[in-house]
Amino acid sequence: MFDTVLVANRGEIALRVIRTLRRLGVRSVAVFSDADADAPHVREADVAVRLGPADRSDSSAAETYLRTDQILAAARRTGAQAVHPGYGFLAENPGFARACADAGLVFIGPPPGAVELMGDKINAKEAVRAAGVPVVPGSQATAPTDEELVAAADEIGYPVLLKPSAGGGGKGMRLVRDPADLPTEIGAARRVARTAFGDDTLLLERWVDRPRHIEVQVLADAHGNTVHLGERECSLQRRHQKLIEEAPSVLLNAETRAAMGAAAVRAAESCGYTGAGTVEFIVPGIDPDAPASAAEGVRDFFFMEMNTRLQVEHPVTELAVAVGPEAARLDLVEWQLRVAAGERLSFTQSDISFLGHAIEARICAEDPERDFLPTGGRILTLDEPRGEGIRVDSGVAPGTVVTSAYDPMLAKVIAYGPDRPTALRRLRAALADTRILGVTTNTGFLRRLLAHPDVVAGRLDTGLVERTAQQQPVLLAAPHSPSNAAPSNPAPSNAPTTAGTTAPAAPADGTDARATEPPSPAHLLYYAAALARHLELTPAAEPGGWTDPFSSPSGWRLGGTPAWTTHRLRTPGQDPVSVRIRSITAGNVTDATDNSPEPTREVELRLDAGPVHRARATLAADRLHLTVDGLRTTFALATDAAPGLAAGPVTWLGIEGDAWPMHTYDPVVESAAGAAAHHGALTAPMPGTVTVIKATAGETVRKGQPLLVLEAMKMEHVIAAPHDGVVAELRASAGATVAMEDLLVVVTPAEEAAEPAEVRS
Amino acid sequence: MVISTTGAPSGVRLNAVTGTATAPGAAPPAAAAPAPRLGTSADPGSAAYRANTEAHQALVAELRAKLDAAALGGGAKARVRHTSRGKLLPRDRVDTLLDPASPFLELAPLAADGMYDGAAPAAGVIAGIGRVAGREVVVVANDATVKGGTYYPMTVKKHLRAQEVALENRLPCIYLVDSGGAFLPMQDEVFPDRDHFGRIFYNQARLSAAGIPQIAAVLGSCTAGGAYVPAMSDQAVIVRNQGTIFLGGPPLVKAATGEVVTAEELGGGELHSRTSGVTDHLAEDDAHALSIVRTIVSELGPRAAKPWPLTPVEPPAVDPAGLYGAVPVDPRTPYDVREVIARLVDGSRFAEFKAEYGATLVTGFARIHGHPVGIVANNGVLFSESAVKGAHFIELCDQRGIPLLFLQNITGFMVGRQYEAGGIAKHGAKMVNAVACTRVPKLTVVIGGSYGAGNYSMCGRAYSPRFLWMWPGAKISVMGGEQAASVLATVRRDQLEAQGEEWPTEAEEEFKRPVREQYERQGNAYYATARLWDDGVIDPMDTRTVVGLALTACANAPLAPPAPYGVFRM
Repeated sequence: MFDTVLVANRGEIALRVIRTLRRLGVRSVAVFSDADADAPHVREADVAVRLGPADRSDSSAAETYLRTDQILAAARRTGAQAVHPGYGFLAENPGFARACADAGLVFIGPPPGAVELMGDKINAKEAVRAAGVPVVPGSQATAPTDEELVAAADEIGYPVLLKPSAGGGGKGMRLVRDPADLPTEIGAARRVARTAFGDDTLLLERWVDRPRHIEVQVLADAHGNTVHLGERECSLQRRHQKLIEEAPSVLLNAETRAAMGAAAVRAAESCGYTGAGTVEFIVPGIDPDAPASAAEGVRDFFFMEMNTRLQVEHPVTELAVAVGPEAARLDLVEWQLRVAAGERLSFTQSDISFLGHAIEARICAEDPERDFLPTGGRILTLDEPRGEGIRVDSGVAPGTVVTSAYDPMLAKVIAYGPDRPTALRRLRAALADTRILGVTTNTGFLRRLLAHPDVVAGRLDTGLVERTAQQQPVLLAAPHSPSNAAPSNPAPSNAPTTAGTTAPAAPADGTDARATEPPSPAHLLYYAAALARHLELTPAAEPGGWTDPFSSPSGWRLGGTPAWTTHRLRTPGQDPVSVRIRSITAGNVTDATDNSPEPTREVELRLDAGPVHRARATLAADRLHLTVDGLRTTFALATDAAPGLAAGPVTWLGIEGDAWPMHTYDPVVESAAGAAAHHGALTAPMPGTVTVIKATAGETVRKGQPLLVLEAMKMEHVIAAPHDGVVAELRASAGATVAMEDLLVVVTPAEEAAEPAEVRS
Repeated sequence: MVISTTGAPSGVRLNAVTGTATAPGAAPPAAAAPAPRLGTSADPGSAAYRANTEAHQALVAELRAKLDAAALGGGAKARVRHTSRGKLLPRDRVDTLLDPASPFLELAPLAADGMYDGAAPAAGVIAGIGRVAGREVVVVANDATVKGGTYYPMTVKKHLRAQEVALENRLPCIYLVDSGGAFLPMQDEVFPDRDHFGRIFYNQARLSAAGIPQIAAVLGSCTAGGAYVPAMSDQAVIVRNQGTIFLGGPPLVKAATGEVVTAEELGGGELHSRTSGVTDHLAEDDAHALSIVRTIVSELGPRAAKPWPLTPVEPPAVDPAGLYGAVPVDPRTPYDVREVIARLVDGSRFAEFKAEYGATLVTGFARIHGHPVGIVANNGVLFSESAVKGAHFIELCDQRGIPLLFLQNITGFMVGRQYEAGGIAKHGAKMVNAVACTRVPKLTVVIGGSYGAGNYSMCGRAYSPRFLWMWPGAKISVMGGEQAASVLATVRRDQLEAQGEEWPTEAEEEFKRPVREQYERQGNAYYATARLWDDGVIDPMDTRTVVGLALTACANAPLAPPAPYGVFRM
């Protein structure tokens, strides 16, 4: 075994590898970019080496985690004998594997030749086909031209899938159903492939409808022993990105499992594989109309590709696969190390069996309510779940700043149980217990996805998530989401409500209609946000301990009824709302301005012109307990008071895995920001880099016309004109890095541009 | 907290408080000798306690109903018309102006109650002390839903009173202007005299001269004389397409010169901000204007140091919730005023002065919301000893720079040969002299009766207390209705008997009834507050809050240097 191993990665996988190194008594070396200088993997390692240019700070992957030379230098400097590449970055780069060997370092992975062969998907397919592994029909040429791709598509039939030859993990893949779209899609796919992998070679294959993604874990030593560790089903995907993985797959019977396992072993052997690897198969879903006998015997499966690295989802195999009569669990990282160190596998295929069920959920910095756009920010609160059968592989810590520079995956929550229903239940509960505030994540979304009837029943396919999002969005929608906050039911009175900046703080007739129905969860979220702000109002500290009664946040008024305090809130993508709060004074409140230490207060509150609810709220350090109409709800609470937030601190509220930021909305500031903001101002939907500018200031544009392209998380987002009009302002330039919500371009609507400004009132 | 002046040189502001500030609940330092705590002898189980509670609750319910009604201003229709123009209601303007959730000590919210056929709730103007950008200011906000915000006699009086509060306590003034000027049908009562409309601008000039900022936001009309409110201000904001300032409106201009002009052209925000320079800031709407005002206040100069030392606030140890039960409503029912003090002061701690001497006047030192106060409270009719004790105590407070709080419940000085012979007039005069001349802020709460010379010695309105409030059951008149009726009846009977006429008892009763009724009506707290004889009728339970806020307001003005008293007749 090695003395010192360098982990050429970051985030959860670096921590995962370091954990095993520590257990084995091996010294660990981390590498880090400037952005990761204080990251958990750096703190956890025994030694850490900075990557990046010496003379300036550049944390881009290309200048850090992809710099072979710097990583090898770091290994030399720290006396590392081996390099664990994790996944992503250089994990499947044969050049890196070779460079390691040339530098006298052991690359913890398969031989460079295997990496190279399997990395080229066209050759890989040929190789495994030769070894008797079934493959999906697809393009044959090694580097097909656009024309060849079109011709191949016509030959094998639509729908087809475009894949970057050099890529992995689903990045840059495009599904094309209409032949007319193919040329455009080829262009886009090549662009992504070039940026992401430095190689725009594409390949194309038949698309299997309602397919299930089932992959087989293999493990091979350098002494000719190869075993498979059963399958993982990864059918719950969105745009080819895996969301949920489980082992075993409910679809497979013993015969199919054995057949797929044998095929996977043949695929590994065909390229002289060593270490841990994964052979991905596509398996047609069960046709509900097929006879029951169709479920028996060996099912169809086709080889997709082989991933020559440790997979993100390897923990489900570690939890659900048992070895030998004692049902020992495997540590795949340990076996990677052992194999790399030349050890033999200590077990054979017959020792291996499934025991129980494991499911993994990938927690990513993505906003399910905004088409899963990557998010970012500083993690203010991080509560990771614990409990029976729960494992968390996390790469973040409180205070971690999540940027668009790297992969959006923050952590994995894995649940194990004796059976699938138990594992599912545990995972859902664990996700509800996962509180991440400061960065919007998909946690709540994953939790709801796990409750989908088809998921519960095991009727999975790779289109399930997107289909559900389109057809039954309510199944996946966050109940507390502000997007569900339909305009509050106006009070049953003739109270006029004026919109905009001068909404009156009370209806003109002075009535405050009482609520007759409990508030919706979305309204509760606003109430909680407003109460958190309200309860945080504290008297100003004076020297000597005196409390100025005028600084008491009581809203005290002569005559007993306190004034409403208006809290104006805005959550991204929603119209601002006003929540008004006042303390309740039962005839006997004696001294409203005395500073009561009692943290619970009974208040009245109302959303916009909605009815008045009575509520009781208790504010703890990181929790807000809110009781409205007898229902007590607890929200996780954090305040982002980072300097630079012009509109004041941001209140983060979390519940059941979901979390939302609540910004202060100041109508005066907003209206002063100019009418432009309300008329065709386009802001960056996420942090990223502007790659292409397609319009010029003053240009007349049509609705939907692309104005610029924003690249973030290796994905391209086209910013298009929201309406016909004129480009009034162009703030962005090619190559510029932009923050979320930065103003990029303003398109003045055509009708407005045509009218003289004086007419506006 | 013990107050001590030992060793303090005379002529220097005396804030020698020996007790150091301690956190609430913390044990006081060994050297401090905190005043003893007052207890209570009220029995919550007694019939009297229950009857008192019910009587207070009924009075407070009436007060709340009146305040709620007055707070609605000119009524639903006028409010809808007002808001439909994109304007905030006047109380919403005040709420928006003030720091979030901060208290507002309103002045005379029931001004003009029962006057002008009920046409002017709150006299059509909101006035009070609130906090803007962390500092106390006086706010005067016209209510345009009440007769277009025009000035009735009581509107003028209330506006002037607010300016007086600003002057005495050195509080910046914020005028939220939305007014058509003087109420023309009553011009003889609002225009010509010294304390009429013109005095507003006189005050603005004098306040500004004294370094007290004058800030106006023109949120609506500002016509004729009203135009001088922004014009006399240090800084003025106007709302575009909403605020107007002109000496003569479009109809008057047309009548005078035939010129046809819109209100906006004649005196709108654009004109005054770009051309005339009458205003300094152009706002888009009410909220924007109020935000500009907040910015202006936040940029005012530093605040003066507090004139007396402040200590951590401690709620009363005797639960103030028992106030209703412990205190009878009828001023004629005797009770121990310490029941009130115990529920008013920090920790219920009261360092009583001369407890055994002149016991019908209770005097002593305490703290309310961390402010030191010298309390002067009636506990029965005033005798010579009580008056002399009161004068002595006021002198102590004056020397030490401690504000005075008068709890007034007084039928008057003791009458009768023995007392006149004992010189009660000259002894009473000593207390009146001390009250009139002291330099420290005086606050008065009429918690029962306020009759005759007792009103003078206990700092009635004529003695310029910084603030004066009444409890809803309080009475104020030169003497009680029954006494007045009896006095007048006796005089009448003497006249008739001198003429040899008979005066049957029924006729005497018939004679006395209207006198009693007149005194009952005019001695009522609402009759008083409607006429600005006080700064408001308050819920007894609010007394601690009101006094605490008022003391904080008072602490904005430095103490005057010690000044001589008038001649004390010995």
